[in-house]
Amino acid sequence: MDKLNFGSALKLIVYILVISYITDKIIYYALNTVSDKILSGQAVGKLNHFLIVKDSVDILTFGNSRTNHHINPEKLSLPGFNMGSDARSIAFCATLIKMLPKDKKQLVVVNVDSKNIFKTNYSGDDIGPLRIRYHRSDIIKQEVDKVFSYDPIQNFYWSKAYNGKVLGLFKNFFMPKYDHTKYHGYDPIYVNETQREIFKNFLKKPKRKECLDSYILNPLYESYLNQIKTFCENNNKRLVLITSPFYSDECKNDNKKMIEIFKTMNIEYHDFSDLFRDNNQIEYWKDDVHLSDKGAQVFSEILNNALYKKN
Amino acid sequence: MKNNYKYQNILLLVSSYIFYAWWDWRFLSLILFSSFVDYFSGLNIEASKTNAGRKKWLLVSLCSNLGLLGVFKYYNFFADSFSDLMFGFGWEVDDLTLNIILPVGISFYTFQTLSYTIDIYRDQFKPTKDIISFLTYISFFPQLVAGPIERASNLLPQIETKREFKHKWFNEGIFQILVGLFRKIVIADNLGTYVDAVYYNPEIHNSSTLVLATFFYAFQIYYDFSGYSDIAIGSAKLLGFKFHQNFNLPYFSKSITEFWRKWHMSLSFWLRDYLYISLGGNRKGIKITYRNLMLTMLLGGLWHGSSWNFVIWGGIHGLALGLEKFVFSLKKNQNFGFFGYIYTFIVVLLSWVFFRAPDLDSSLTIIKKILSFEFLMPFIGDFNNVAISVLMLLLGIGFDLYIRLKKVDLEILGGKLSIFRLVTFATVIIMLLNLFYSTSNNFIYFQF
Repeated sequence: MDKLNFGSALKLIVYILVISYITDKIIYYALNTVSDKILSGQAVGKLNHFLIVKDSVDILTFGNSRTNHHINPEKLSLPGFNMGSDARSIAFCATLIKMLPKDKKQLVVVNVDSKNIFKTNYSGDDIGPLRIRYHRSDIIKQEVDKVFSYDPIQNFYWSKAYNGKVLGLFKNFFMPKYDHTKYHGYDPIYVNETQREIFKNFLKKPKRKECLDSYILNPLYESYLNQIKTFCENNNKRLVLITSPFYSDECKNDNKKMIEIFKTMNIEYHDFSDLFRDNNQIEYWKDDVHLSDKGAQVFSEILNNALYKKN
Repeated sequence: MKNNYKYQNILLLVSSYIFYAWWDWRFLSLILFSSFVDYFSGLNIEASKTNAGRKKWLLVSLCSNLGLLGVFKYYNFFADSFSDLMFGFGWEVDDLTLNIILPVGISFYTFQTLSYTIDIYRDQFKPTKDIISFLTYISFFPQLVAGPIERASNLLPQIETKREFKHKWFNEGIFQILVGLFRKIVIADNLGTYVDAVYYNPEIHNSSTLVLATFFYAFQIYYDFSGYSDIAIGSAKLLGFKFHQNFNLPYFSKSITEFWRKWHMSLSFWLRDYLYISLGGNRKGIKITYRNLMLTMLLGGLWHGSSWNFVIWGGIHGLALGLEKFVFSLKKNQNFGFFGYIYTFIVVLLSWVFFRAPDLDSSLTIIKKILSFEFLMPFIGDFNNVAISVLMLLLGIGFDLYIRLKKVDLEILGGKLSIFRLVTFATVIIMLLNLFYSTSNNFIYFQF
């Protein structure tokens, strides 16, 4: 092997690594600057908003889209923020809950569904969207490292945290979706006539009862629940788990099992799955799992009563 | 390690086998079987003094390789088709299909190893006596699972020569690998997300959505496979091997004939040299030429996968090639001018519907829906993904246009750039990869 040739190749590799490393950091910090100014949009804006309000609000709700569209914090007795987001589960919630202030008295509401809690292959990968703050928060870094295997590229090129988010970032920077000062994390669903018709047709179709076969609490899910419980107990927080309404909840064994599990774990739990069973209205729903704004307003008031009746 | 190509080959061979075994070690036995059959067939063809003897050993090679391919790739297809045919006649046949896994790369290394024995039979190549070199030729990891299908006449002499580190080749290789990564994991995979969403449920979409998805698929498969080829060619160059070009901006073609000179060139030239010419090519009159073109493309389609969709895909190309042959025989010039670009792209788009759709029914549904001319607002789905896809596609097409207009050769471009330009280019690509890569897809051609 020609030593001079090999040296030139090595030089090329070193140059590429050094220049790309420096460029990556410039891009990363530039994107951080833009990102920090964004307070609208689900991926980045809502997280930023949460980080701003988390120390001041009294009630925080966590969960997936069924939290996001079901709970209007304006209907609650004390100032609150709804941190529900599409496709998030317990790992995402637990990480954000651990970022709450240590001593402030707060109510933490986590919306749990039986389909997630008994899911055999739950891996905690819903924490992925928090990678955007991987290099800026020790808590997030620690939690992400627990779920995902070591990623040497992510550790070398930090801008990878913004993968797939750059266009959305600039869109929300220049054209914010909403006025964040009037936003509390709740995204109402206003159902139009076409959507209503689609749902009506869906209801007419015969349904197969798809209940779970086994009700074993996923160990990872259980671990996150325990972490949330411990954090709340040690940091002046009241933890409440809820299950928000379904249009029609045919499977009952999972609800019974959840009540049993949470009782054993000594966690306050309210099951609203059947809330509208006796007085259901099509106007309350967008589909069989998501409430319309009208339904969400009703549910939020009932939730508020349930949360404060005991206290 | 001594400066001897034999040691280099042992290292390459072991690496290649480990690479393949990582997927499923059991299928190494198939590569070994094919390799040994062809190694000895090659030697025996050369040693045979009579034509019958040569033919006998060629048949051993053909039957062994095509037999393996037939069992692992086509058995279930023919069993299913036979059952359907019998059912059509009113006879019900028991399920004849078997639970067979398709070994990765079998179509590619089978064609590669067949070219070796056929070339020897045709006296176009002398067999190697060095078994290690031959095993390395068949299993060489950069092109083992999805090509390019390298002929022995190009690759074996390189394997049997000591490789020296060449700085220029190193730069060319790095450049081409980066281009390949961008094409594959940024452009193709982002496009694939939209294509998958639409083709998963084609009946619910309007004409504009299906046309857009098919348009995206045309570029998805191009950037997927040409990107893979770039990575393979670049990696081989880092190790001191030069492969042939596999794609040459195929969508800039004025006819299907030209398209096939630029698309998956290692396969199309293989089909031309070993199938079309073996069938008689254009030497036996115009009718036989049309038949040969159609047969070659139908079998070329079937090579891609055991489904009638691939056969129809090949059939569309065969028909277009035949029609072009007829039209060009009446004209002086051998293309359709600027209109040719549009005509070629439309035919290719139409054929991609069959290539991408999961089955024949879905393909026909898509064609019917497109022809219903319901050109309303297309489905967008994840706006962010579509926006990234379009932006990256424009970058990719822009880069291709640059290559075409400047008449530069992608394979050697990296070697011509100054270190400053090469580092700048690499940095830009790395940033694009970090910010826009998608993890959604595998290499499309791995399934073939």
